Amino acid sequence: MASPELIKRLDRALNPETVVVVGDKKAMGYMWLNAMKTFGGKLYSVQIDPNEIPGIEELGVTNLKSLAEVPEPIDYVLCAVPRPVAARIVADCAAAKVGGVALFTSGFAETETEDGIAAQEQVTQIARDGDLLLIGPNCMGIYNRRLGVRHSGDQEAGTPGNVGFIGQSGTHTINFSLVGAVHGIKCSKTVSFGNAVILDAPDYIDYFAQDAETEVIALYIEGAKDGRRLMDSIKAATKVKPVVVWKGGTTAAGSRAVYSHTASLASDQAVWDAAMKQAGAIQTANLDETIDVVKALVHIKPATGKRMGLIAMTGGQSVVITDAFEREGLDVPLLTDTSYEKLGEFFNIIGGSYRNPLDAGGTIGMGFVPGNLEKLFDILEEDANVDAVALEISGTFIARRMKAFPQMMDSMVDVLARQREKSAKPFLAIAHPSHVEDTMAEIRGRLLGRGVATFTSFQAAARAVAKAGEYWLRRAD
Amino acid sequence: MSTLTKAIDQARTEGRTALTEIESKRVLAEAGIPVVETELATTAEDSVEIADKAGYPVVMKIVSPDITHKSDVGGVKVGIGSADEVRAAFKEITDAARKAQASATISGVAVQKMAPQGTEVIVGMSKDPQFGPVLMFGLGGVLVEVLKDVSFRIVPIERRDAREMIEEIKAFPVLQGVRGGEPADLGALEELLLKLSAFVEANPQVAELDLNPVFAYKDGALAVDARIVVSGDE
Repeated sequence: MASPELIKRLDRALNPETVVVVGDKKAMGYMWLNAMKTFGGKLYSVQIDPNEIPGIEELGVTNLKSLAEVPEPIDYVLCAVPRPVAARIVADCAAAKVGGVALFTSGFAETETEDGIAAQEQVTQIARDGDLLLIGPNCMGIYNRRLGVRHSGDQEAGTPGNVGFIGQSGTHTINFSLVGAVHGIKCSKTVSFGNAVILDAPDYIDYFAQDAETEVIALYIEGAKDGRRLMDSIKAATKVKPVVVWKGGTTAAGSRAVYSHTASLASDQAVWDAAMKQAGAIQTANLDETIDVVKALVHIKPATGKRMGLIAMTGGQSVVITDAFEREGLDVPLLTDTSYEKLGEFFNIIGGSYRNPLDAGGTIGMGFVPGNLEKLFDILEEDANVDAVALEISGTFIARRMKAFPQMMDSMVDVLARQREKSAKPFLAIAHPSHVEDTMAEIRGRLLGRGVATFTSFQAAARAVAKAGEYWLRRAD
Repeated sequence: MSTLTKAIDQARTEGRTALTEIESKRVLAEAGIPVVETELATTAEDSVEIADKAGYPVVMKIVSPDITHKSDVGGVKVGIGSADEVRAAFKEITDAARKAQASATISGVAVQKMAPQGTEVIVGMSKDPQFGPVLMFGLGGVLVEVLKDVSFRIVPIERRDAREMIEEIKAFPVLQGVRGGEPADLGALEELLLKLSAFVEANPQVAELDLNPVFAYKDGALAVDARIVVSGDE
């Protein structure tokens, strides 16, 4: 486990007051300095190429010739110099006792060339000798949403978030923050950790586990240098907050001699899955699933059971929503007699039914009769057979009208947001893609903006609810 | 010197990495893992003496560092009910093994009391390059390699892990007792997994291990066959 001292040092690097970008240039569109525009602390550039300096100064950033000239203690350095210069900058970082440095510079061991490997060893040795916190190389460094320290100009800034993302790949790390934001996920901080020569995934997991602002940790990883250490960190973290692990790639099974049945059955994938389960992690297979599960963890109250109360708009969808949730191991039970008595008083059974799922399109006018929808919510809220409630929003029947009459959308969003707030039970909505997709996207965005977990398919919703639920139920066990 | 160290020394002297069934069982018994007591007979009279002491019926198996698949060479006999039959079986087994594999070194014949049939499970350990020692649990029998209905956990395991390993396999209902079958003693299986985890953690020289099968009973569990492979290096 990372020492308290390392945690403290990481905290400094990840919450910087002074940031220096080394080696940004016009050919990259000054991407780093532009990304840091939202940073409210002190920002400097270090660049010695006279052709680049005027462009940097035009951005309003002070350019210096070396890290030694920076007047304040430096908390975080983003280094974007070419590989031949990287070792020198890393040495300068160590000399300046910077909080941490992320090496965007690539061309190291990931190239699998002798040169690249040698260059990586050199940089690693300098960092180790200088007791320097090095992120990467071959990475995008950190994103701190609250402070506006970014690795992409499209990332949101200035407000806090609660999801920490740790990514071996820069692309996936940026994608999670950007696509996640569309799905109502606000990152606290993200780290793209690249080749991980000094700091490795377990260090960041240990950090996020104790980071008060981070409530959920998500991780993209392609393998572990030290599997036991990774497991120990995840296991410690999952005791206090959920950890979602998206594993990319499959490790080639070595051609080792195998004598026992056990060894012949213990495939790398089987062992990885077992290790993650043992550590209490939630496993996902791709970006979509990762986002859906994190969305469920952030926006849906912790599960207390597996019994779903489902509200669909038509008979056909009632069948299919049930299939989706049952396939993921969730139950769709009969309601209590009390609920059926209450439903019998007002439920429109012409073209509908109310066993569970509630085939409620007629009763709630596809969502346009808010009074009845609220009644359904109240009945399911009090029903002792139901642990969680999911509602279908049918673009087929409402998208055109909501586009024409925006106040109808306002009203529906209000009803769902209120339900989410007052309900003690996990609550979610499913708004499928429709023929009026811009309206559906707007509905999803507005609901997510109000904290209502909204998914684009029954299957995605069911899987996310099942995976998040498994975590909460195991933790409570 | 522990039984394991002695067995490893003996194996290395003979250029083996696999401990014999008898060595493996002694080592595991010392670690508190329930195994069927098994003795080596080097003569027919030996085997009768051991069988008399163990009680009938007995099982007899060829012991040879060169023969892995004992039943393939006619090296296994079960349900042997008397001293005369034991004497005859000793000859038949050693003759069959010699005939099948003339060059094989034959150390003798293992004699053990025939354990009453229980639900067959397999328990084992192998080493993963990323995670180190990994335990495996599954329903035993000939189909295990085809169906791959097994679960894994990284050593060391806790009781919860042991329980989850058992509950995770698809055939778990078989252990709970299906169609009037007796439920297996799940507590005893958990205990076996926990003891094995502790044994593996304390003995890094153990590279691979199979308890196949383990008989799970209404009360208790018993490893009927065992095989330990140790690392080749010092």
